[in-house]
Amino acid sequence: MIDMQLLISGIIFGLSLGGIFFLMTIGLSLCFGLMRIISLDQLLYYSIGGYITYSVSLAVGNIWLGVLGGVIVGGLAALAVERIVFRRIYDRDLPFTMITSFGVLIGGVGVIKYFWGLVPRPVPVPIDAQVFIIGTEIPVYRLVIIGIAGLVYVGIWLFLNRTIIGKAIRAGTEDVEHVEGLGINVYRLFTITFVIAGGLSGLAGGLHAPLIMVDPNMGLEVLAFVFMVVIIGGLGSIKGTLVSSFLVGQVVSIGSLIYAPLAQMAPFAIMLLILLIRPTGLFGSQMLKR
Amino acid sequence: MNVLRWWWGLLLAFALVALVRVFLPLPFANEIIIFSIYTMGCNYLLGRIGFISFGQPAYLAVGAYATAFYLFYFGNNPYVGILIGVLAGIVVSFAIGPLFVRLRGDYFALVNLALAVIIFYLMQKVLAGITHGDNGLWFLTSMTSTPVLDLSRPDQFFIFAFLVAFALWAFYKYLDDSIFGACCLATKLNEDKVKFLGYSSFNIRLFAFVIANTTTALAGAMYAVYLGFVSPEITSPARAADPVVVTILGGVGTLYGPIVGSIVYTGMKDVLSKVLGNWELVIGFVLVFIMLAGEKGIWGTLEPLIKKTFLRVTGNAADRGGSSR
Repeated sequence: MIDMQLLISGIIFGLSLGGIFFLMTIGLSLCFGLMRIISLDQLLYYSIGGYITYSVSLAVGNIWLGVLGGVIVGGLAALAVERIVFRRIYDRDLPFTMITSFGVLIGGVGVIKYFWGLVPRPVPVPIDAQVFIIGTEIPVYRLVIIGIAGLVYVGIWLFLNRTIIGKAIRAGTEDVEHVEGLGINVYRLFTITFVIAGGLSGLAGGLHAPLIMVDPNMGLEVLAFVFMVVIIGGLGSIKGTLVSSFLVGQVVSIGSLIYAPLAQMAPFAIMLLILLIRPTGLFGSQMLKR
Repeated sequence: MNVLRWWWGLLLAFALVALVRVFLPLPFANEIIIFSIYTMGCNYLLGRIGFISFGQPAYLAVGAYATAFYLFYFGNNPYVGILIGVLAGIVVSFAIGPLFVRLRGDYFALVNLALAVIIFYLMQKVLAGITHGDNGLWFLTSMTSTPVLDLSRPDQFFIFAFLVAFALWAFYKYLDDSIFGACCLATKLNEDKVKFLGYSSFNIRLFAFVIANTTTALAGAMYAVYLGFVSPEITSPARAADPVVVTILGGVGTLYGPIVGSIVYTGMKDVLSKVLGNWELVIGFVLVFIMLAGEKGIWGTLEPLIKKTFLRVTGNAADRGGSSR
């Protein structure tokens, strides 16, 4: 059996990984729910977040400032891409948006390679401290990530349920034409959602950067995991995204404790199993193109 | 005469490819031929069934590794190796097809990509004892030379690849004109109506899936024989979109799209990577541009122009020659 201490640190590791996955996939999920697009370029904002964190922390010396910069630049990049590309293709079918956003992703990775080069860069961990939980040494930074992910979930929940814009977004998820009929500018809603999504992806990249090294293909490396989270949770469901991201995080972490290559294989097995039972994922509904 | 009219385009395309062989270095020509076989599968999925797959490298790897296992461990006849690669492609796509084709288009794309990643890790880490991990399997020297066409020599391999590609094109052309091809297209356009007419959309999709992915596996097997080695790099997630990009570049659903796309893509990769260093940048922006400009691709844009010129020359208004919808 696995050592108790190893198990606890494994669970914490899985939770923090799940937090990162959650921050990344929530953007994809929101975009699908409201605009019915699959925006693979969220992974670009994730890479941008990581790189801005690296550059700012190198220049200023404060990593949190870098993460903040990552969020802002990620959001701005999302705004630009939305204005230039996505605005024209909202009414196209899903595979079309998927290909287009993939083009944006590859192009963006090319831009990153142009600015920062091909070499992976290390980002220092902002909090070195360790705490003891039931006799196990846990890095505080991982707990901070879990906390931030929880805060973001609460924040998104409050935003969608308590503010008028959030309510409009939720209504738009149900029926966008009625919302338009009420005199709400849905394209502004689309822009807001897209920028929020981009900012959250940037946050995920910034927070993940100290744990891994930033390199130009970092977005493509997590691509498969993000897909798995989205598929297991069901596209367009925020609760499903939360549940499945922590599920995948745990499976990756605990799986790697039992047998290292299992970490990459186990989520796929779970995904196939869930798709066999429910072809739209755990919480996904039969949302089709309007 | 009618037959000729139907096939002139195909013959012309291959005459051009044969010309490519004369003017361009051999590795480049080989790369183009194999890549266009690779793209044909993806093109069929996207253009006829309406399924976009970001996981084509998975099937490429299935073909390549099946061939590699045979050539590394059991025998040394490249023809048998390719045959085994194709068989592996058929078996694997029949095994996972029923599960995959009942998914919606967007989930289909995501699941395929996940499969590609899994196969990547499978080959790199889990089965490292058999596949030698990142080092890959090397069997270039263990391949025996075969009679008629010696596959272990690049120049003869080109002729073989050329013939295979031509046969495949003819096959896809035949499929397009058959009832099955019409059913595929109908499933893409309106699934409910197809069901209403008494066809099983599931079976149509399953067979199209198997055909397309077997083509991809064949491309993988040919890569293995041509390069003489296989490594997990072949199914790396970073290259997952290559066939999709080439398909879009060439023109979705057109017969000549894959070959035009492969020439342009391979050419761009070679030329741009020398000049710029990062050609992804250009590929990405070209992809976005083509999508925004009406997703017709290079061949889709050129085809009407060529047809117009051709018709003007022959003066035959009723000519349907070279039509590929």
